[in-house]
Amino acid sequence: MARWNIKNVALRGVSLCVPDRVVKTEDFEFFTAEDAEVFNNTVGIKSRYLAPDDVCASDLCQAAGEKLLNELGWDKESVDVLLFESVTGDYKTPPTSCLLQDRMGFSQHCFTMDIPMGCCGCMYAMTIGANLLSAGSVKRALLLVGDTAVRMGSLKDKSRVPLFGDCGTALALEYDTAADEIRVDFQSMGKGGTALMTPHGGFRQPVTPESFIYEDFGNGIKRAPVHTLINGMDVFSFAISRPPQTVAAFMEDYGIDKDMDIDYFLIHQANKMIVDRVVKKLKLDATKVPYNLEEYGNLGGASLPSLMVSRLKEQLTTNPQTLLLSSFGLGLTWGTMFLKTKPMIIPDIIRL
Amino acid sequence: MAAIEKYNQAFVEVFGVKESALNDHFSKDNMKEWDSVHQLNIVAFLEEAFDIMLEPEDIMNMTSYEEGKTILARYNIEF
Repeated sequence: MARWNIKNVALRGVSLCVPDRVVKTEDFEFFTAEDAEVFNNTVGIKSRYLAPDDVCASDLCQAAGEKLLNELGWDKESVDVLLFESVTGDYKTPPTSCLLQDRMGFSQHCFTMDIPMGCCGCMYAMTIGANLLSAGSVKRALLLVGDTAVRMGSLKDKSRVPLFGDCGTALALEYDTAADEIRVDFQSMGKGGTALMTPHGGFRQPVTPESFIYEDFGNGIKRAPVHTLINGMDVFSFAISRPPQTVAAFMEDYGIDKDMDIDYFLIHQANKMIVDRVVKKLKLDATKVPYNLEEYGNLGGASLPSLMVSRLKEQLTTNPQTLLLSSFGLGLTWGTMFLKTKPMIIPDIIRL
Repeated sequence: MAAIEKYNQAFVEVFGVKESALNDHFSKDNMKEWDSVHQLNIVAFLEEAFDIMLEPEDIMNMTSYEEGKTILARYNIEF
């Protein structure tokens, strides 16, 4: 069972950088005004920030990281671990974390690692980063989590394009023997992996000229094998079943009272229908469940840290908070995390 | 309320049909309105009505009035 009680690690700060361009649902040419209204009301994503083609996730993450380090007052020489979580890295090789180590001016003694885990990305990065710090051999980690996911798919795929937004986030972890335990549970269901997939472009199906031939799947979905696809029904049925089941079991196992012990539930902002179902199934107090998908869309692995910055800044910077996090996505994978925070640094949102 | 009444109510609410329209032929194949949103709404109604959490495979297979009863039987709901 993949569960950890991670000792001695504190979350010191979180930051968010979004592109300057806002795209509203009504702006998509493939939607009629009526389509856009239905989408806004059911999926709940009314706008999203989208980066131009020459801006990568690493650029947005770099800006978020620089600002966070500056406001924390951390010398770059003091950062021992640099993790970059994204499915939209700069190149297939080398790892983007290595490029960022150079671009951002971190020491050559810095441990770098890429983690391409999709919508559970932040939780993966926190779990790996915190476990690296827990023994005290290394003291500080910067986690950069972000994607430019729209560009992974076909711009003629009405089922996918409007769901995502672009951003970069940064999280700062530090060794601290006074920190509360971070509890994490991770699960995987590879048999559902084809629900969220990019068929061509790896070594199982290398890119060929056929990879770029578009097929019309109906319902406004035109894409080629090189594009990322979403099998909506598979994803829905997974997202509204496994994650809430696991959150319920997690709370029971750890004796967590959802009404008394948790200040906020941070649920991956996939879309309104999914988040609403998770909230209803778990019978959560809606005032404890912040949403930001209406403004940002699905930010993949950066969804949870973006919620911290955009919706809980005042609470997280002024008082201790107890958070329960639930993320789910690519793989298929899903994670649950119990996290007690102390007042942290959260810079203003950056527009790049 | 009897199980069958709760079950029927879900379809009446989601599809806006009369109870008399519900029969073995009421399915995704025969109903053009039966899209993924309707299917998920059916699932949501049934989960709340019977206080259950359906497995992913059962949500996927909830594609007809008849099949739904077979699925719910696995959750000890008798009609």
